[in-house]
Amino acid sequence: MGKITRLSLANIKKHKFEFISLLTLVMVCMLLVGSSLGAIWGIRNIFPNVMEKTGSYENYIFILEKNYNKEYENILKQHSEVETVTAVDTLWSMNTGYIDKNGKESALYMAFITADNEAKISKSPMDSTLSSEEIAAIEHPIYAPYILQDSMGYKAGDTFDITYGTRKFSFTIAGFYETMMFNEMISGLKMIVSEKDYHILSGLLPKYKAVLYNDNQGQGGYELMDSFLEECEDYSRMDVKSGLVSITYGDMKLMVTSSAELLLNLMIVMAVIIFISVVVIIRYRIANDIKEQIVNIGILEALGYTSKEITRSYVIEYLIMAAGGVLIGTGGCFLLTPVLLRMGELISAHRGCGSSNPLMIFLTGIVILVLVGMTAFIRARMVRKYPPVQAFRKGQGDHRFGREFFPLRKTKYNVHLRLALKGFFQNFKQNIGLTICITISALTVVFSFIISSFFGDGLNTIASISGIEMSDLHLEIMPYADGDVLADELEEMPEIRKATPTSGYNTLITISDFNEIMLPVAFSSFDETENIFPMEGRFPEHDNEIMLNNQIATVKKIKVGDSLTLEYLNVKKSYLVTGIVTSVTNGNMNLYITEDGMKRINPTYKPDVIEVYLEEGIDAQEFRKTLTEKYGRSLSDAASSKAENGTYEERIRAEAEQQIAELMASNGATHIEYSIRFGDTIISGNSSNFVVSAITNMGEIMRTQLGSSCTAIRIVTAVFMVISAVVVMIILFILMESAIRRDRREFGIMKGLGYTSRELMFQLACRIVPSAVFSVIIGTVIGVTMTDLLTSIIGVVKVNIPQVIVLDIVMLIFCFVCAYVGARKIKTISVYELMTE
Amino acid sequence: MNSSILHTDKLCKTFSNGGVQQHVIKNLDLEIYKGDFTVIMGSSGSGKSTLLYALSGMDKPTLGNVYFGEEDISNYSNDELAVFRRNHCGFVFQSIYLLDNMNVFDNVMTAALALQKNSPQLVKKAEELLKKVGITEETWKKYPNQLSGGERQRVGIVRAVINEPQILFADEPTGSLNSASSTDVMDIFTELHSKGQSIVMVTHDIKTALHGNRVIFISDGTVIGEYEMPLYNTDDLKKRREGLQSFLDRMGW
Repeated sequence: MGKITRLSLANIKKHKFEFISLLTLVMVCMLLVGSSLGAIWGIRNIFPNVMEKTGSYENYIFILEKNYNKEYENILKQHSEVETVTAVDTLWSMNTGYIDKNGKESALYMAFITADNEAKISKSPMDSTLSSEEIAAIEHPIYAPYILQDSMGYKAGDTFDITYGTRKFSFTIAGFYETMMFNEMISGLKMIVSEKDYHILSGLLPKYKAVLYNDNQGQGGYELMDSFLEECEDYSRMDVKSGLVSITYGDMKLMVTSSAELLLNLMIVMAVIIFISVVVIIRYRIANDIKEQIVNIGILEALGYTSKEITRSYVIEYLIMAAGGVLIGTGGCFLLTPVLLRMGELISAHRGCGSSNPLMIFLTGIVILVLVGMTAFIRARMVRKYPPVQAFRKGQGDHRFGREFFPLRKTKYNVHLRLALKGFFQNFKQNIGLTICITISALTVVFSFIISSFFGDGLNTIASISGIEMSDLHLEIMPYADGDVLADELEEMPEIRKATPTSGYNTLITISDFNEIMLPVAFSSFDETENIFPMEGRFPEHDNEIMLNNQIATVKKIKVGDSLTLEYLNVKKSYLVTGIVTSVTNGNMNLYITEDGMKRINPTYKPDVIEVYLEEGIDAQEFRKTLTEKYGRSLSDAASSKAENGTYEERIRAEAEQQIAELMASNGATHIEYSIRFGDTIISGNSSNFVVSAITNMGEIMRTQLGSSCTAIRIVTAVFMVISAVVVMIILFILMESAIRRDRREFGIMKGLGYTSRELMFQLACRIVPSAVFSVIIGTVIGVTMTDLLTSIIGVVKVNIPQVIVLDIVMLIFCFVCAYVGARKIKTISVYELMTE
Repeated sequence: MNSSILHTDKLCKTFSNGGVQQHVIKNLDLEIYKGDFTVIMGSSGSGKSTLLYALSGMDKPTLGNVYFGEEDISNYSNDELAVFRRNHCGFVFQSIYLLDNMNVFDNVMTAALALQKNSPQLVKKAEELLKKVGITEETWKKYPNQLSGGERQRVGIVRAVINEPQILFADEPTGSLNSASSTDVMDIFTELHSKGQSIVMVTHDIKTALHGNRVIFISDGTVIGEYEMPLYNTDDLKKRREGLQSFLDRMGW
């Protein structure tokens, strides 16, 4: 072993705590960066792998069957980017739900398709642990996407109850399969059911024609899709966009890996933050060590060691530390990467990860070693400043003879605080490093805290930026029903606080200035809304005014006061933008308009949805059943409730309801009354209980769609806060230990003068307070600004300033306590030993 | 005879080094009187510095007790000893131990503010004391490494007495000084003593020891002899020197 390496090892032996702490930080960096970069490789392969495995189409458009025409396929084929086209029958509804394993009903959008049709659009095999005999014996088999097994814990053979209105359909899971279409909680899940069950469901759920096409890996994009839809409308003179659901190749790709990639990128950001701290600590440690060992360095130089050799000993010392961290971290990477890959599969809801990339792991290790080596080399070169004679004089040339900070003769209050401030300014340069570290950690904590509290406050906060009304119940009414009359009738019910008619998803209008399809959210007066907040401007009041969602306004650079042209079925009208709304729902399509404004562009418009707000204490789920029973009966319900064995009166009523349902569904009757007399008895009724087609609980839908994401974000941000806190703690411990070693003599003298260990610990801890206060303030300002910038696209994420201030105080106390505890080694300084050295 | 300010009862101090126990102070009984300038002498390794640090609360005895007045300080915690030192003691060391990162005035004020709140009187007192020991105003802003050894020790003495300690401990205060500086420093000690300051000083220099009025000779961790002298400057220096030399000769010096 060379003499230089021996010097390095001796130094490591002397500073075990710092060595282990730094090694741990480097190991964590290596682990986070190495495994993230290693896994990101595999996760990016999920999409192409699954596309290839399933032979999925690249784009799909769900058009309501009533608006569909066979000619649409030919229209699509005429586009040069389009390679292949197919169309199959499906069902899709936003009003479906399921009974979870705890017996609780949860909302979940669902699409249904038969096995034959699925085979036309995908070659994904059905995967089941059941034998073919067992599957054949199932009365109502259902195949679900893997997400149901992987994330929701279902297995083949389990019962899966699907709800729609008051109806419940009990299925048995026959197996699972891989699919690119409807494979997540936001747009819903695609279920494969038998022909018989499909037929039953099609009596209730909206029927769609799924038009699927390949456009050479997304070459056509939204432009192709929009142009196709326009051409369809021109061809058919029908509102093709009504009730439309579509996803492009780009959307699918983004949905599959973006969440997992975001998480991995956040891990890398965290690692970079830790590494910056490591660099600062290495610089601080070397500077302190040189000052502490200046006499020994002088002796070594006098003995013939060159400053280059001494510099090299520092570089070797820190390279040994980094190599240890990198080595352990690399081992950890090979354990963590498969976990991350599996996590990526779970987040993307697909099975088909590529393998990790070990080269990225090794490259990360090399980069870390090079950076640590360079940092140590650059800092250790300060040894050159001390020739032997100057080193013997304890680097006298390095002493400051300049301005005296905080002279003690001017002490007014606490001498310990003044001595601490003196110490702070005497080590000002080193405090810059500490300030950088705490600033980065503080901004991470503040950012994480804001995001965590935002997503942690149940779904209330998210609801506040949803841009749609979060009523208790969302009633979709039949085309023939009069929304205003029904709303008035509903408001008579004691359980209902308010019932507001609005628009549903049946009408889409286009902003012709930039050919953007929008979903109008129409109210007779926006004063009736409770959950839509203009972040800029005001609500539309007149029939020529609209508000836009923030995303579209940002992307298209639309400001309040601009005029836009809206188009609906070739009718074009100009509207003034009066406001911008925070809105995260409906894929940036929300456009806010008054009822009169809607009628201006679509004279036949009438509300097709009623938002129902319940009185406090009313159970929405329970009350939904009451409303469904009273207003939400359907043709299918009527057919199935035919009382073959009931009383004569029951059979009469059932028959009458069947007749009403058929008349309304097929002939467009808007109101029917009947009265039948037999003997002395008169049986009468009307069509009022057929006016609501579906009732949903928006809160439930939000919970299903965003609940797991909120939980994941809360966990990630909590982990970030903990890591930041641990990093700050380690930094402060190392800094305190180094400071005590460097100023050991001074602390010994002060102890001799009668200063107690606690007073000295307090002084030392107070030295970091100016840095900590400055860092926390700057970190908070940057954190809040960063949150604003990052979230500006979805609107205003309101920062709770009092909470942030409390957080800042907690961070300051935490820093102080860490520094105080880290300074406990002062207790071990013996005055006697110092005197007799 | 003055009243006792400090006394020990069977004081022992043992050091352990690599499993080998070294008994430096052995069952030592000693009394220090108020207003005395007590000089502790002995050969190298006799335990005189160890005794000084045990008496002053810088170090804890292994066995036995140290009483300050009636108060037993031998069982004090480290922090209690620190408070004891700042309330009652002043220290002058051979290595001086000024705080290198503070200027002359702040070195003095650091000690002063450990006990007292800042006031114009305190600042004035520090200034007066510094002037009195010959540290001029232009030196106050200098750092220790810009001072001569004598200047440093004079600052050390001012730092030691700024709080008017009941007892001033000095460990070889002239050990690192040249002859002229030593004389200056000892003149300051003499003046302090003449004003009633109790002083306990360890030295192996007869010239320095002559400034005291009581000499305790220790050997192998125990007191083997004691010699009393009149106050310095009140008798013939030659006779004083001969008397002390004769005592030391008897002690095997």
